[in-house]
Amino acid sequence: MKTVSGIFLIVTVLLAGIASIGQTQKWVIGMSQCNLGEPWRVQMNADIKKAAAEHPELTVIFKDAQNDTLKQRAHLEEFADAKVNLLIVSPKEAAPLTAPVAEAYRKGIPVIILDRSVLGSEYTAFIGADNKKIGRAAGQWAAARFPKGGKIVELKGLMTSTPGQDRHSGFLDGIKGTGLDVVFEADMKWLEPDARTEMESALAVQKKIDLVYAHNDPGAHGAYLAAKAAGRDKEMLFVGIDGLPQEGQIYVQQSILAASFEYPTGGKEAIETALRILKGERVPKEITLRSRVFTPENVKKGGEWLDQIPIR
Amino acid sequence: MAELGDKTNPAQTRPRNSFFGAPWTRALFALIFVFLIGMIFNAGGAFFQWGTHRDMLRQISVIGILACGMTLVIITAGIDLSVGSVLGLNAVLFAVLSLRLDWPAYLAVGACLAVGVACGALSGAVIARFKMQPFIATLAMMVFARGLAKSISGGEKVSRAVLQPDGSYAYVDLPRLFQAIDHKVFGGNVAVVTLIFLGCIFLCWVLLARLRWGRYLYATGANEEAARLSGVPTGRIKLLAYSLSGAFAAIAGICQAIQEQQGDPEAGMGYELSAIAVVVIGGTSLMGGRGSIAFTLLGTLTIGYLEKILSINAVSEASRLILTGIIIVAAVLLQRKAA
Repeated sequence: MKTVSGIFLIVTVLLAGIASIGQTQKWVIGMSQCNLGEPWRVQMNADIKKAAAEHPELTVIFKDAQNDTLKQRAHLEEFADAKVNLLIVSPKEAAPLTAPVAEAYRKGIPVIILDRSVLGSEYTAFIGADNKKIGRAAGQWAAARFPKGGKIVELKGLMTSTPGQDRHSGFLDGIKGTGLDVVFEADMKWLEPDARTEMESALAVQKKIDLVYAHNDPGAHGAYLAAKAAGRDKEMLFVGIDGLPQEGQIYVQQSILAASFEYPTGGKEAIETALRILKGERVPKEITLRSRVFTPENVKKGGEWLDQIPIR
Repeated sequence: MAELGDKTNPAQTRPRNSFFGAPWTRALFALIFVFLIGMIFNAGGAFFQWGTHRDMLRQISVIGILACGMTLVIITAGIDLSVGSVLGLNAVLFAVLSLRLDWPAYLAVGACLAVGVACGALSGAVIARFKMQPFIATLAMMVFARGLAKSISGGEKVSRAVLQPDGSYAYVDLPRLFQAIDHKVFGGNVAVVTLIFLGCIFLCWVLLARLRWGRYLYATGANEEAARLSGVPTGRIKLLAYSLSGAFAAIAGICQAIQEQQGDPEAGMGYELSAIAVVVIGGTSLMGGRGSIAFTLLGTLTIGYLEKILSINAVSEASRLILTGIIIVAAVLLQRKAA
């Protein structure tokens, strides 16, 4: 019996020794993603993974809440119990996730909130882009492109979601006082097949369309497919939002879209901010991401920063 | 098509002495009701253009193809909740095979059909062999197939943009089959997917109205025990119904991928409910043993027109959901009244 426990002890010590040699990582980051069903969020995780890969001292653990608020809450609690060094959270919705985020924060875990906000101020930093600004930029771009005015079809994401509302109101801001008119609007629920269906209706009702503004790139692409099937794709321009490398940017390269406005994921910035926090530096409470516009002229060069383009 | 409804309905007990009593006229009432709404709210004449009808027929075809399989299953007194997920799985599989691996069209289509049949057969086998409730067995398949779709796509849409080793994206050409199917024929008046849908309707009609196996489907749904005692192989019949439902879901998945030019692992989410609605609004009984594929054709048109009318009038999403609910109930009540 003694020999057995002796061998056991030796093996344990050896294993622990090997483990400590292999251990160069200093920090563990928990990343709670609300939903990996959307390409944009898949891209966010990919951006985080890519940025973290350049820092061997970081280990990132990803959890996907599959669009379920309570599941995300459970994930946050699991991370807090596991005593991760830092939390990155892209919350599904503000109110129900405020308390679990605050709880982790109060336990001394720094929390970075990505994209969607929570209520109050019990977190370390918020990183996100401004949908209203992006919508406004799209509107101003359209106004510059059609100085004599024109007819617009707007394919909206989901008007019950904040990005949908902001991309809508921002765009209306951008075209205010110009000759541009939204003559047909419909909810396409962020989905390409639905965008195609709604666009077919728009084409049936509107004899002349100058521009299609869709709240995301798949929506703009669906509209293009509908117009192409009707033989009217040359009559109008298509504009979308998101500018993902494998979606919007490709469509722009193909000259299917006249422009795609980037809605940055903030994945890279989250890891940069995380490192600064872990090293004990102070970071701003709110970081607003810059976005780019991709057009067929500039897409090869990687787009142009919106704040560097003089519009109107 | 009209009298198909009668012939394919051996369990029909209502005397067919009056025009208005015939089941197919009742199914027609819902369609006429919705059609009249369209005539009134015609969106400045858009409803009177053939293009609107052609687009509607294209849009509803995928749901219609799913509804063909759903009809067979519902006639056996079952339900297939997995069709939306099996559609998604096959959309992804077809996109991977044809856009990524460059398989020739016939092989890619064949592989998808095989996978669709396998999914359906698996549900059918569990239902027939282990007497599991169809609701549970196909619910399990719904989750399983969705997971499979997400796993083979890596959670991303399988599109024409292919990641290159240097981090940039290349754009692959569309295979010929994509162009052939997302295309209009007869002088641009009918979409090819609509013809595929009508082909599926025809296949189901042959099965239900012309083949012994079709009569067995009705017999199994009307009274399984009686059917079994009179020599109907009810287990194998159920296996057939679910396998065919899987095959139709695969066809729908291929059509979906081709029209989207990509395989979206989220495709077909909630389509199973639309397919069930189409079958039921046509007049096929959820209790089994009664119904026909002609009803499903009428039901498909009813739902298709309803969606199209709301869309051309640019009705907001919230009002659309409310109106759809009200109009479905009104249409079905009207059917009963007419009877």
